[in-house]
Amino acid sequence: MTHSSPNNDLFENLRLELRRGSLVLAVLAALRKEQYGYTLRKALADLGMAIDEGTLYPLLRRLESQGLLLSEWREEEKRNKRFYKLSPVGEQVLGQLLAEWKSIDSSLTEIVKG
Amino acid sequence: MQPLDRYLNNLSKLLPVAQREDILRELSEDVRSEMEDKQAGLGRTLTEEEQYEILKRRGNPLQVAAGYTSNKGTFAFGPQWIGPVLFPFYVRVLTFNLGLTFLILGGIFAALSLSGQPISFSYIVSNALLQLFIQLTAVTAVFSLVEKHLSRHPDHWNRQAVNIEVEKEVERILRDIPKKIREVSRFESLSILVASTVGLMWMQALWTHPFFVFGPAASLIQFGPIWHRIYMPTVAIILASMLRAAINLARPDWVLFRNVAALVFEAASLAIIYVLMFSGSWVVPVPTANSASAPHIAQVVNQWMPYGFWAAAVISIFQIIKNLITLYKNWRWGSSASSNQ
Repeated sequence: MTHSSPNNDLFENLRLELRRGSLVLAVLAALRKEQYGYTLRKALADLGMAIDEGTLYPLLRRLESQGLLLSEWREEEKRNKRFYKLSPVGEQVLGQLLAEWKSIDSSLTEIVKG
Repeated sequence: MQPLDRYLNNLSKLLPVAQREDILRELSEDVRSEMEDKQAGLGRTLTEEEQYEILKRRGNPLQVAAGYTSNKGTFAFGPQWIGPVLFPFYVRVLTFNLGLTFLILGGIFAALSLSGQPISFSYIVSNALLQLFIQLTAVTAVFSLVEKHLSRHPDHWNRQAVNIEVEKEVERILRDIPKKIREVSRFESLSILVASTVGLMWMQALWTHPFFVFGPAASLIQFGPIWHRIYMPTVAIILASMLRAAINLARPDWVLFRNVAALVFEAASLAIIYVLMFSGSWVVPVPTANSASAPHIAQVVNQWMPYGFWAAAVISIFQIIKNLITLYKNWRWGSSASSNQ
């Protein structure tokens, strides 16, 4: 059994907060290629952006209701799966978010350099 | 029944009705994919234990459903007292109770003012705050206990928690997922149970602490004999409503039962309103009241009470008509659903 120190808890909270902000970007970017929920989750996890189902599916629903994603139920391997892909509006927003991300990244790099 | 079906069944009761079918299909697909992946890795079928492990890792249905709840409000002072799933029902019950309390309090202050009693603004505010505190404490306490119970037993969806009868019911529900689901929301039943408990406690408190309803006029006026006559029938209706909610909590598919019971209770309430309406004297002066204005205040209150009863009767009749329409629609839907099978 492991005991978490207050510092570890604090780090974990801050880490989650930091990652939470970038999840939307990761999901939108990954959905430039059409995927269904499970493969998307696996793809993100393989690339180091693990996201639990309890967060991913409500997020997909929210992004779809905001018009950033399109989805459809389709049969694959004899099972019905819901496939998601980026909508034209989503593509535009993703472009803007990526530009913002790059700007934040370069600013942070400079700040960290001191 | 498979662990996954059991898990989805428990989750289904907590999801927003409009999205329930879609969410369940998607989550079911996700879990099945994960299980297949694991099976392929192990080269064998997963044991029931391993299936439970996968589901356990996803969190209890209450937490999972919270992610899909549109109202993200919670109640917390440090630890979370009321989570996002129960929060909308908490707000609904609290709003109803506070609305009723302030309506009565407003009437009392209006009667005092009309009878020429001096009332200061600070007096009104302090009385309103006291009522707010009482209602907030009672409703919050009941809901936080419910939340605590649900959080302490996160694994209630597991195999031990479900008996064979419920399993059969669950299988039926899951089979019917592609159809439009019509059932009584478990949280509607739960909120009725909580609101009725608070209502009963409040009614009990009124006899010993008439201040809760008469506010500052409690030393001058008291309930007339008619309230003693209708007290037991009123308690009986509330208890019957609670019993109905408890039954629908276990059997949410008994929609017609809910409709018929609601109609009967509404008719019984209308009968009580009728008895009250023609009583003529609803409050009487406190015999030991020193103030000479006590009879006058009672007279003013009695003069205005019939308007309140007429309003209550109109609302009640409207509810009866609404319940009749709902009953007819659900009966029609039930007939067509059974003929389609």
